[in-house]
Amino acid sequence: MNWRHIQLIYHREMRDQLRDRRTLFTIAVLPMLLYPLIGLLMMQVAQFNREYSVRIRIVGQENWPQNLPLIDHQRHLLSRPGAEGIGRLMDFTTESWPTESDELSKLRLTSSAAVQLDSVDAVLIVKPDFARRMRERLAARSQSHAAVEMDTVPEQAITPELSDGLELVANLARDHSQLAQQRLQRALDAWQQAWVSQELVAAGMSPRLVEPLALAQTDTAPVSVRRAMLWSKVLPFVMLVWALTGAFYPAIDLCAGEKERGTLETLLSSPARRNEIVWGKLLTVATFSISSALLNLLSMHATAGLIVKQLASAGSPQVAEALGPLPIHALGWLVLLLLPMAAFFSALALAVAALARSTKEGQYYLMPLLLVTLPLVSLPMIPSLSLNLGTSLVPVSGAVFLVRSLIEGRYAEAMMHLPVVVMVTVTCCLLSIRWAIRQFESESVMFRESDRWNLHAWLHQLWRDRGMTASPTEAILCGLIILVAMFFAQFMAGSSIADWPSVVSMTVAVQIGLILTPCLLMAIFLTRSIRTALRIHHVQPSHLVAAIFLGVTLHPTYTALGNGIQHVYSLGDQIQAALAHFSQLIYAQPLWAVMLLLAVLPAVCEELTFRGFIFGGLIKQGGALRAILITSLFFGFTHTILQQSIAACIMGLMLGLIAWRTGGVMCCICVHVINNVLSIGLAWFPANQYQLPPSLSWCLRNESDAWLYQPQWQTISVGIALVMIAVLFRRSPETQRVVQVEAL
Amino acid sequence: MVEVEQLTKSYPDLLTGKFVALDHVSFSVQPGQIFGLLGPNGAGKTTALRILSTVLQPTSGLARVNGFNVSTHPYEVRHSIGFVSSNTAIYDRMTAWEMVEYFGKLYGIPSDRLTERMETVFADLQMNEIRDVAGARMSTGMRQKVSIARAIVHDPPVLIFDEASLGLDVMVARALLEIISELRAQGKCIIFSTHIMREVERLCDRVAILYRGRILASGSLPELAAEFEESDFEELFFKLLKESDRLRLDAAGSLNSMIASGI
Repeated sequence: MNWRHIQLIYHREMRDQLRDRRTLFTIAVLPMLLYPLIGLLMMQVAQFNREYSVRIRIVGQENWPQNLPLIDHQRHLLSRPGAEGIGRLMDFTTESWPTESDELSKLRLTSSAAVQLDSVDAVLIVKPDFARRMRERLAARSQSHAAVEMDTVPEQAITPELSDGLELVANLARDHSQLAQQRLQRALDAWQQAWVSQELVAAGMSPRLVEPLALAQTDTAPVSVRRAMLWSKVLPFVMLVWALTGAFYPAIDLCAGEKERGTLETLLSSPARRNEIVWGKLLTVATFSISSALLNLLSMHATAGLIVKQLASAGSPQVAEALGPLPIHALGWLVLLLLPMAAFFSALALAVAALARSTKEGQYYLMPLLLVTLPLVSLPMIPSLSLNLGTSLVPVSGAVFLVRSLIEGRYAEAMMHLPVVVMVTVTCCLLSIRWAIRQFESESVMFRESDRWNLHAWLHQLWRDRGMTASPTEAILCGLIILVAMFFAQFMAGSSIADWPSVVSMTVAVQIGLILTPCLLMAIFLTRSIRTALRIHHVQPSHLVAAIFLGVTLHPTYTALGNGIQHVYSLGDQIQAALAHFSQLIYAQPLWAVMLLLAVLPAVCEELTFRGFIFGGLIKQGGALRAILITSLFFGFTHTILQQSIAACIMGLMLGLIAWRTGGVMCCICVHVINNVLSIGLAWFPANQYQLPPSLSWCLRNESDAWLYQPQWQTISVGIALVMIAVLFRRSPETQRVVQVEAL
Repeated sequence: MVEVEQLTKSYPDLLTGKFVALDHVSFSVQPGQIFGLLGPNGAGKTTALRILSTVLQPTSGLARVNGFNVSTHPYEVRHSIGFVSSNTAIYDRMTAWEMVEYFGKLYGIPSDRLTERMETVFADLQMNEIRDVAGARMSTGMRQKVSIARAIVHDPPVLIFDEASLGLDVMVARALLEIISELRAQGKCIIFSTHIMREVERLCDRVAILYRGRILASGSLPELAAEFEESDFEELFFKLLKESDRLRLDAAGSLNSMIASGI
C-alpha cells in the first residue's frame, strides 16, 4: 500500500468537501445553530408551560370542611407545606351543589360536557358527605397514610364506590387537563396532611406522627461524578448518531456522487490501488464523522451549560447542580469512544454508499443503515443494563457501556472488560473496512447498470443458473428464513410442552419442519445436486477417527464453557423451572428414544443445514472465514436460550473449522452427535441418584449433585483435541479436490 | 506497444445468463500509430478500453500494454497509459491546475519536474487562461482539455481515447483531433474509439470494426477498401454490420469465410 497515494487522496477529498457549502453547513454550521435554537425553543416552551394557569371548577364548595378550607374567599388556593407556589397557577371557579334529586348523574354529565368543550380543564365534585367520610376514614383507618383518592373521569369511567366523597372530571387526553389533575392532587395531598394533623391535635396527639420520616442522606459520589453519570447516558447516544449521519453524507458524495459525476472512473484508472482509494476516502469520511460528532457534542454541551445557568438564576439550583457542566475527563472518554466508532461507521457508510449508483439512490440506503445501528446505540440507554461479558460482546453497545463505566469512575470493571470490547470493536472495524474495499474491487458494484428487475426472468435465472451448491446469497437467505421461522415457533413452544408426545412433536417440527425443510427445498430447487449442496461426501478415514476423538475430547471443554456462561449469566427462574420440567419428562422415557430424538435428530438436521447447505454456499470464492463465522452465528441464534446460544455459537466455530478442513458434513455430524449423546447421557443419570462406577472416576466426579469432569481429564482432552485438529489439517488429494472445487 | 489476444469479457445477465461484451478480440498497436476502434453503441469498445486501462478484468484472453499484462501488472500498466473517456469527468470543485497537479502527484512525478511538465502541457493545450477556473464553471471543451492534460501529464507512451469527442461541438472536436495528431507525432501509441466515420478517416492509421463484441474486420483504411471493394468507409461500415446481422440470423457459416467469399 502506498501511503503517499492515501495522503494525496485524503487531502483532495478533504479539500473537495470543504469547498462544498452543503457539507460545511451540515457538518459545521448546523450543529452550531441547532442546539442554541433548540435550547431557545425549549426555554420558550417551558415558559409557556410554567405560565399556564389551569382552570378548575369546584362544584359543592360548601360541602368542604369549614374548619379547613381548600381555597379562600377570593377563590385562591391556600398555601400549605407541600403545595407552595402552585396556587398562582390554579384559577378556581365555584358552583353550588344542585338541589334536584338526580343531581349527581346530571352533574357528571354537565361537568364532562364542560371539560370536553374546554370551558374548564377539570371539575372537582365535592359531595355533601365528603367531610363525614373523611372523619369516618380517619376513625376506621387511623393508621392509614393513603392520600385522598380521586376518581378520574375522562369519559364515562366513574367509580363512585371507591371515592371518599370527591370526584374529578378531566380529559386526560388533553395536556392542560393532565396538568390540572397533577396540581390538584398536590394541593389535595397538602390539604389532607394539614387535616390529619389538625384531627390529631384535636385528639390530643402530636401532629408530627403523620410527618414523613426524614432520611438523612450521605451520597459518596462527588457532584462531578453524579453529573457525569447523567450526561453519560445521553451524550454517547447523541454523539454516535451524529457520527453516523456525519459519515453517511460525505460517504454518499465520495462514492455515489463520484460515480454519478464520472470522476470515480478517472480515479480508478489512476495509479492508486483500490484499497488506497478506500483508505483515502475512509479517512476523509471519518474526519467528517468525528468533526460532526464533536461539534454537536460541544455545541450541545455549551447550550446545556447556558440553560443550566439560566435555571440556576431562575431559582432551580438543584436542577442546575445536577445538570452542571460535564467533567473534562468525561469528555476525554467520549472522544476516545468516538474514534473507533467513527472508523466503524465510516467504513460501513462507505461500503453501503458504494452500492448506490447515484446520490439519490444513496439517500435510500441511509434509513436501513440507521435502523441497523440505532438499536446498538440505544441499547446502553436501557437502565437495567450495564457492562458485563454479554454486553461487552455487542458491537457499539459494548464500547458505549465501557465508556460509561469509565465516566462513572468504575475503572476496575472497565479494565476487566476492556480486552473484549477492544477485540469486538477492532474486529468490527476491520471487517467493515474489508467490506468497503471488497465493494470497490467488485466490478459489479463499481459499474453496476440499472437493469430492470423482472420476477419471471429472475425465477428463470435462478433455475437456469443453479450451481452444484447454493450461492452465498441463497445460503444467507436460508439462514434468515430459519431464524424467522424459529422466532414465530418460540411463541408456540412455551406453553405446549406439557408431556412427552408434545416434546416429540415439537422437536420433530423444529428440527425437520423449520431447520431441515427450508434447506432441503432450497437444495432441490436452487442447486443441481442435493448431495453436493448438502456437502455429503465420502469421508477420509483419518478424518472420521479424528472426528470421533474430537467429539469425546471437546465435550469437557464444551461443558466447562456452558458452566462458565451460566456463571456469568445465570438462568432465569422461569427458564430453570421449564428446564426442570423438561428433565422430568425425559427421565421417564427410554434412553434410546431420548437419544434418538434429542441427540441424533438435531445433530443431523442442524449439520446438514448449517455446515452443509449454508456453509457450502458461503465458502464460495474463498470465503472460508466468512462461512465459519456466519454459520456459527446462525447456529447460535437458532438456540432460543441466550446461554445456549453463546455456547452453540462458540461450538459452531469449531464445527465450521471441521466442515472446512474435511470438505464435508459427515465429520461434523459425528462430532455433534457424540457431543449431544454425552450431554444427554450425563443429564440422564442424575448425580444424586447414581453411584459413579470406579472405572470412570479418573474422568468424572460428583460435585453438589452434578457430574463434573476431573481437571486432569479436562487438560488431557484439550491436548488430544488439538492433536486431532492437526490431523484434520492433513487432507487427502480427494478431499483437497472437493475443497478446491467448492471454493471456486 | 499494445497487444490484445483473444480478449473476452462476459457479464452475468438476468435474461440470457451471460452477456458476452467482448468475444475473442485480438489486435495490436505500435508506437506512433493511431488505432481506431470503430463500432456502434454497445459494440464493446468501452469494455475493451476499460480492460486496457485495468478498470475491468478480462474473463479470458491476454492484453499487454507497454509489455505489462493488464491482469497481473495493473499498477505498471496504469503508469504507462493515459485514459480519456466520455465517462471520465473532472472534479467540479477543483481548478484545472489543481486537478492536473493532483494526478501528476498520484503518478509520482517529483514536485519540481511536475510544475515544469504542467507548464508545458498547459501551454501546448492552450489552457493557461483556465488554469484557475473551477471545473463547475468550465465549458465542455475546457473540461475535455483538462481531461487530456490529466491523461498526458505523466507523459505515458500509450494513450486511450474512448469516444472522447462525444458531445463536443465542431470546433472543440476539431481541436481535439489536432491534439491527438500532435501526440502521434510525438511517437505515442494511441487507441481511439469512436462511432464517427469522419474522425476515423481523418485520424486513424489502422482500424478495427467491432460489432456485438467481435471484430468484423481490421486493417488500414486502404487495405479495408481493397478487401471489401468499397472506397466509402461509411458504406463499408454499414455493409459489414448489416451482413453480420444477417449471418447471425442465418446462423450459418463463419463470419470470416462469408466476408472472404466476396460479400
